[in-house]
Amino acid sequence: MTRRVLTGVSVAFVGILILLPLIAVFIEAFRKGIPFYLAAISDPLAISALRLTVLTAAISLAANLIFGLAASWLIAKFSFPGRSLLLSLIDLPFAVSPVISGLIFILLFGAQGWFGNALTERGIQIVFATPGVILATVFVTFPFIARELIPLMQEQGTEEEEAAMLLGASGWKTFRRVTLPNIRWALVYGVVLANARAMGEFGAVSVVSGHIRGRTNTLPLHIEILYNEYNFSAAFAVATLLASLALVTLAAKAFLEWRIRAEERPLAEEA
Amino acid sequence: MAIDARHVSKTFSKYTALRDVSLKVDDGELIALLGPSGSGKTTLLRIIAGLDMADRCAETAVFVNGDDISRQPLSRRRVGFVFQHYALFRHMSVFENVAFGLRVRPRRERLSEPKLRKRVNDLLELIQLTTWSSHYPSQLSGGQRQRVALARALAIEPSVLLLDEPFGALDAKVRQELRRWLRELHERVHVTSVLVTHDQEEALEVADRVVIMNQGRIEQVGTPDEVFHRPASEFVLRFLGNVNLFHGRTFVRPHELDIDLQPIDPESVSARIVRIQSAGPIVRIELTTQDGEALHVEIPHDRHRELQLIAGAVVYVRVKSPALIRQHAGAGH
Repeated sequence: MTRRVLTGVSVAFVGILILLPLIAVFIEAFRKGIPFYLAAISDPLAISALRLTVLTAAISLAANLIFGLAASWLIAKFSFPGRSLLLSLIDLPFAVSPVISGLIFILLFGAQGWFGNALTERGIQIVFATPGVILATVFVTFPFIARELIPLMQEQGTEEEEAAMLLGASGWKTFRRVTLPNIRWALVYGVVLANARAMGEFGAVSVVSGHIRGRTNTLPLHIEILYNEYNFSAAFAVATLLASLALVTLAAKAFLEWRIRAEERPLAEEA
Repeated sequence: MAIDARHVSKTFSKYTALRDVSLKVDDGELIALLGPSGSGKTTLLRIIAGLDMADRCAETAVFVNGDDISRQPLSRRRVGFVFQHYALFRHMSVFENVAFGLRVRPRRERLSEPKLRKRVNDLLELIQLTTWSSHYPSQLSGGQRQRVALARALAIEPSVLLLDEPFGALDAKVRQELRRWLRELHERVHVTSVLVTHDQEEALEVADRVVIMNQGRIEQVGTPDEVFHRPASEFVLRFLGNVNLFHGRTFVRPHELDIDLQPIDPESVSARIVRIQSAGPIVRIELTTQDGEALHVEIPHDRHRELQLIAGAVVYVRVKSPALIRQHAGAGH
């Protein structure tokens, strides 16, 4: 009985809150027919939004890949003063509202911000331009990779690295041949999650982008503008791009989870 | 002199792991660092390996084959190290694990592929795992994994081989087999080896010399015979096996006592049998004296049959030879 109730509640919940909206997106997108759909997604403004989204995601992933690896390595394999502070700081972007994250960058780099004058004098624009969009995205996707790697690296310990060094491997060889292969799936998993967030981020990017059409609009911002202009079908058409991306991410995530589990299979019992 | 560690101390933030320890190991020797957990034996081993640094002090120095290790990067030391939990590379096959040290050499010193294969295969033969070469560590038993770890360490032709509780994670039977195998291997390869263990039986059976450690200090260094029969301190005496305090002043090991049904010796102590454990090569008997002190006696099976002891009986315990009393009397301090 209890089980049936729980199952019913879960199914209803997933159906109403997740599945139904997803279906609605696709139905609305095609309401005016396929030609309209194709026109909406090939609109120059949509294409430019897509281009900015992909560029932003690529750069923030590259940045977070380097930072995430370095921070996880530091936190998992060494103990130093300030270690737990660093660990908490990594989580900050999760804890802070994305809108606040965006405002922080306005405060720092905006025309009236701390570094506003210095930047304007040199003709550098960060806020209301592509660099601001990228900075905000890097900030909100900051924890994903590190959060994925730290527990795994902590669990694996440092003995394999010590063994490699004593066998004559240099620091770089140890990293490339021992550390990296041991964390590769978790790393890819973190990248997939960070990518999903980077492409879908709205709040922080909305604050710093300035919504300049064709220049600083990412896909989520473009969708919002279309929607606010009562251009519903076009908004949903572009939304299918993001939704499809989410589905691909989910599939990748499921595959990676399966891979990780396969590798973490309990070690064979002693014969 | 293969290893010469001088005045090594090590303090971690909370406690002192080593207090001014000096140790010399001769070429080709197999030495055991024996002690309870927290005695500093693993710390000393890790410092010799270069994995940990000794506290900075003017007199402190660690030489391995004449080289001051603090001046050498970890990867240039040619130290073979075997970890308690194997530390095999989990994503590499057995073959690649053993080959690792040969593959990461600088290009100029690297072996050609056929030579490398020959070398690795020879080692796999030595550890009797030739047929397992393409398996992964997770597919091996604990004993097999530790043999792979040993072969991996030997592949780089280390100047010293350091083993940190190598059999600690294995069950008793496998441990005994591997112990014997390690001794045989040492006879054949003859690489200077330091074995850390908390198991006295293991240390006494395998090592040429035993270093007994306690609370960050070396208590005694000697051959297994010396430390067992001439313990330098009460700690060593107690640590190397059960010991009875006889007449409140003499330390006697259980096998040095005998049981009689009559008080044939004036020094005999009467005691009640609490428990008889006759499974095993000898019969172990637990008794309580009238003063409530526990005594442990070990006698051969024939003697046990002769006496026909039962639990609850009152018997007389005596030291087999007066020489033993004199020998241990001085060990009380």
